[in-house]
Amino acid sequence: MQIDWTTLAIQAINIAILIWLLGRFFWRPVSEMIAQRRMLAAQTLADAEAKRQQADASLAEIARTRAGFAQERSAMLDAAQTDAAALLEAKREETRQLVQSMLAQAHAAQETYRADAEAGWESNARDLAVSIAARLAARLSGEAVQEVFLSWLVAAIRALPEATRVAVASAETAVDVISAAQLSPEATAEATRHIAAAFGGAIRLNFRVDAALIAGLELSAPHLVLRNSWQADLAQIAAGLTHAS
Amino acid sequence: MNSPLAHPALFHLGPVPITNGVVVTWAIMAVLVIGAQRATRHLSLHPGRLQAALELIVETVDSQIRETMRVEPGPYRGFIGTLFAFIFIANWSTLIPGVEPPTAHLETDAALALLVFLAVIYYGVQAGGLRGYLGSFATPTPLMIPLNFIESLTRTFSLLVRLFGNVMSGVFVVGIVLSLAGLLVPIPLMALDLLTGAVQAYIFATLAMVFIASAVSESRDTTEPQQPRTPS
Repeated sequence: MQIDWTTLAIQAINIAILIWLLGRFFWRPVSEMIAQRRMLAAQTLADAEAKRQQADASLAEIARTRAGFAQERSAMLDAAQTDAAALLEAKREETRQLVQSMLAQAHAAQETYRADAEAGWESNARDLAVSIAARLAARLSGEAVQEVFLSWLVAAIRALPEATRVAVASAETAVDVISAAQLSPEATAEATRHIAAAFGGAIRLNFRVDAALIAGLELSAPHLVLRNSWQADLAQIAAGLTHAS
Repeated sequence: MNSPLAHPALFHLGPVPITNGVVVTWAIMAVLVIGAQRATRHLSLHPGRLQAALELIVETVDSQIRETMRVEPGPYRGFIGTLFAFIFIANWSTLIPGVEPPTAHLETDAALALLVFLAVIYYGVQAGGLRGYLGSFATPTPLMIPLNFIESLTRTFSLLVRLFGNVMSGVFVVGIVLSLAGLLVPIPLMALDLLTGAVQAYIFATLAMVFIASAVSESRDTTEPQQPRTPS
C-alpha cells in the first residue's frame, strides 16, 4: 500500500478550494439571509410592539377625550339648563309685567267706560228729568201763566240799569218779544203796555212765536236778551244738575 | 479484479498524474459550486421552497455545531458543512454506475484528515494564540507533551483510517459480490453502503468539530487566568 503524495496534495488543495467556494457561494449568503430575516422579524416585532403601544396610547387618549366629551356635554347641559331657567324666569317676569300692564289698561278702560256710562246715565237722567218737567210745564201754559211770565219780564226790565233801558228804548230797531204761542190781541196790547211802562216810554216791539220756549215771554234786543220762559228755566236747572254731578 | 488500493493515473497534466478520484472530486466540486451558485442567486426575505430547504440545511449544520462545540457556528460553518457535504456526496456517488467514490481512495481521506489537522491548529491558534495553542499540549502537566502531540497525530490518523476503511470496504465488498453473483444481488449491500456512507460523513464531521472544539477550549483555558474558587 502506497500513498500518492501528489494526489494527496491535489485533493487537499481541491477540498480547500471547495471549502472556500462553498463558503463564498453557499454558506455565507444563506446564513446572511437567515440573519437578515431574523433581524427583519425582530424589527417587525419591535415595530408591532411599538405600534401596539402607540395604539394603546391612542386608545387611552381616545378614552380621555371621550371622558372629556362627557364632562363637556354635562357642563353644556348644565349651562343650557341654567340659561333655560334664566330665560324662563325672564319670560315669566316679562309675561307678568305684560299681564299687569294689560290688567292696568283693562282697569283703566273699565274705569273710563264706567265713568262714561255714569256720565251717559246722568245725562240721560237729566234729559229725562227736563223732558218730564217740560211736559209738566207744558200743561201749565195758559192766561194765568202768561200774566205771571209778563210780570216776571217787567220786573226783569225794571231791574235793568237805567242806561240800558234808555238805550234799548231809544234804539231804532224794534225789540223782539218772543212767546211760546201766538198771543191774543188783548194779551199783545197788555204786554206792550206793561213793557213800555217798564222801559219808561214808547218803544217799538215786534212779537213773534217760538214754541221751544214751552211757556213764557222773552225779550231780545240787539244788545240785550232777557230769558223768561220754561225753556230757560229748564236749561238753567239742567246746567245746575250738570254742575252738581 | 484490480486491487482497490491501486489507483492508476487516468492522464497526466504535465508531470502531475490525475487519478480517477481527482476527476470525480472535480466533478463533485463543479456540481456543488455551480449548484450552490445557482441556488443562492435569487435569495430573498420571502423564501420559496428551495431557499427554505437551503436554510434548513444551514440551520441544521449550525445547530449541530452549537450542540457539539458550544460556540457560535459562524467561523466553523463553512469548514464543517463543506466537509460533511463533500464526504456525503462522495460516498453516495457510488450510485452512479462506473463512478468510484473518491473517499474510497486513501489520498482523498488523507487530504480530508490533513485539512482537519490543519484546521485544529488554525482555530486553536486563533482562539488562544500560538502560545496558548502550544501550551495546550502541556496540560495538565508538561510531562504530557509527548503524549498530547502523539494524540493529535493519531486522532487525525484515526479519521483517515476510519473513513477509508468503511468506504473502501463497502466498495470492495460490493465489487466482490458483483463479480461472484448476479446483477441484483449487491443491491442490499449497496443500500447498506449508502447508509454507511451517510453515517461516516456525519461521524467525520462530528469528530472534526470535537477536535476543533477541544483545541479551541484548551487554548482559551491556557491563556485565560484561572478564576479563584469560591466556597459554595
